[in-house]
Amino acid sequence: MKLLTHNMLTSHVKGVTKGYPLLIKATEVKLNEVEFNPQFVSRMIPKLEWAALVQAAEELGHRQDLPGELVTDYEKNEDFLKKVHTVLLEVEVIEGCLQCPESGREFPISRGIPNMLLNEDEV
Amino acid sequence: MQHQRSYDAVRLHAAAWTTVMEEAASQLERDHVHSVYDKIAPYFNDNRYKAWPKVRQFLLELPPGSIVADIGCGNGKYLHINKEVFKLGCDVCRPLVDFAWSQGHEVQMCDGLNLPYRDGCFDAVLSIAVIHHLSTKERRIRAIKEMARTLRVGGHIMIYVWAMEQKRRKFEKQDIFVPWNPNPHLPSSSHKEHAKLRRRATAQSVTEAIDNPEKHRKVRSTSSVADEEDLTHTVPQQKTQRLWFFSRSLDSVFDFGSLAISWPSSRDLSTLSSPTGEKDENKANQRGRGRGLIKQVSNFFSPQSVIGSEEDVFDARGNVTNNNNGAENQGVSVSLAQECGSVPLPDLISLQREHLNEPEDENTKRPQGEEQQESTQGSSQGSEGQVEGSCLRYYHVFREGELAELIENHVEELHVKHTYFDHANWCVVAEKVQLWRI
Repeated sequence: MKLLTHNMLTSHVKGVTKGYPLLIKATEVKLNEVEFNPQFVSRMIPKLEWAALVQAAEELGHRQDLPGELVTDYEKNEDFLKKVHTVLLEVEVIEGCLQCPESGREFPISRGIPNMLLNEDEV
Repeated sequence: MQHQRSYDAVRLHAAAWTTVMEEAASQLERDHVHSVYDKIAPYFNDNRYKAWPKVRQFLLELPPGSIVADIGCGNGKYLHINKEVFKLGCDVCRPLVDFAWSQGHEVQMCDGLNLPYRDGCFDAVLSIAVIHHLSTKERRIRAIKEMARTLRVGGHIMIYVWAMEQKRRKFEKQDIFVPWNPNPHLPSSSHKEHAKLRRRATAQSVTEAIDNPEKHRKVRSTSSVADEEDLTHTVPQQKTQRLWFFSRSLDSVFDFGSLAISWPSSRDLSTLSSPTGEKDENKANQRGRGRGLIKQVSNFFSPQSVIGSEEDVFDARGNVTNNNNGAENQGVSVSLAQECGSVPLPDLISLQREHLNEPEDENTKRPQGEEQQESTQGSSQGSEGQVEGSCLRYYHVFREGELAELIENHVEELHVKHTYFDHANWCVVAEKVQLWRI
């Protein structure tokens, strides 16, 4: 699971109102090499919940000194974009779980795949 | 006072019945969608499952930097298209999702009725050949609404569903069970290859499928899966063994008069919707009774229950199959349609013999003799060549206009932009719109 994906994921257990962002408890993390496309990253940034991304990167120990708040004028800042690129696309959680911040419910991640299926009583 | 009591009773029954229906729908989908795909997943992992061109085009036309979700992505065959956009996929079928991940895609396990994505986070959503597996209209609407929720305003969703109206024939009913056949007739006339395919197909395991993608590239097309994608192309070329079981729609359960099921008493129904403050032992009893009802309703829709009915099956070219087998008296109408050729299904052999010589005509390229030989080979191969009765996939095939109507009438946050017929599918592209509430 990449952090770009994580940025979209939320807990959807019945009754939960603050299910985002999911806390990451990782037991295995990989760092891949992914081709850097600055334009791609630049266009992706406005679609992100920035604070959630920084928090997730922090949890994995890969914060890359990303600022807590999004800087303006990042489109031409290649250093910054490269850092965001790494955090979004190169860091990968292989094993662990995602925890709902409100209910504490844990969604397992195994073989890189988060299992977000709910049980009967959570629907 | 009397009025109020009967009004309450009706509401209570309606609520309880909704629970039963929901459970029955879930059960049906578990048995005839989820577990089937779990079993047949290895056969999907083949290189030649190409994307539908119009879906590919939809993806390629997305602005760079878009985020796209393929809801019900299966083995992920759409997830590699367009490097300029970020794609993720999800599905309920673990083996298929595992395969997609092995191809380098971002995928999750989840259910289309409860998507784990935040509101408005996607620029585009795909739903290709997915919602026709949902067994009630209400669930199909919920699935569309869930996808609409995750779509941003201005974003587009593309939905493909199997059409009732195929090019050469029309399904007589909308709710059907389609058997999975891993060993269909192949375009090539080589028996040797055919036999090899069977051996390989039955020997495959899921891990093999994931670890050996190369092997799968050599496996030839299975027409059943090709059916899913391209019914009309395979039919003229080959005499495919295809059987459809028709069933009543779960939605039609509300048509009380036509059913021979023993209706639950008011007391039974009221126990299903009791308030939550009950003691544990009462709850257990309720659950037990609830489950009993659910089982009764589910069995009602099981394709194993009855073979044959009085109903006509296809209305194509006067090749109408009339089965009147003195079926069991559960009151279920399940009809069997056999196109041509014969695949021995253990409990349907007598019916098949009747229709062995059904004329499939001008478009068939191979001589009659060869057909017969292949059929015999099929039946003599024992379990290898047989369609498994347990691998019946449930489909609700859509009438023309049904999908667009569903969206227009029930999903106000989506605005239908295009509808069209693509091979064997009805297709809709819709845009997420901002709803203003006063």
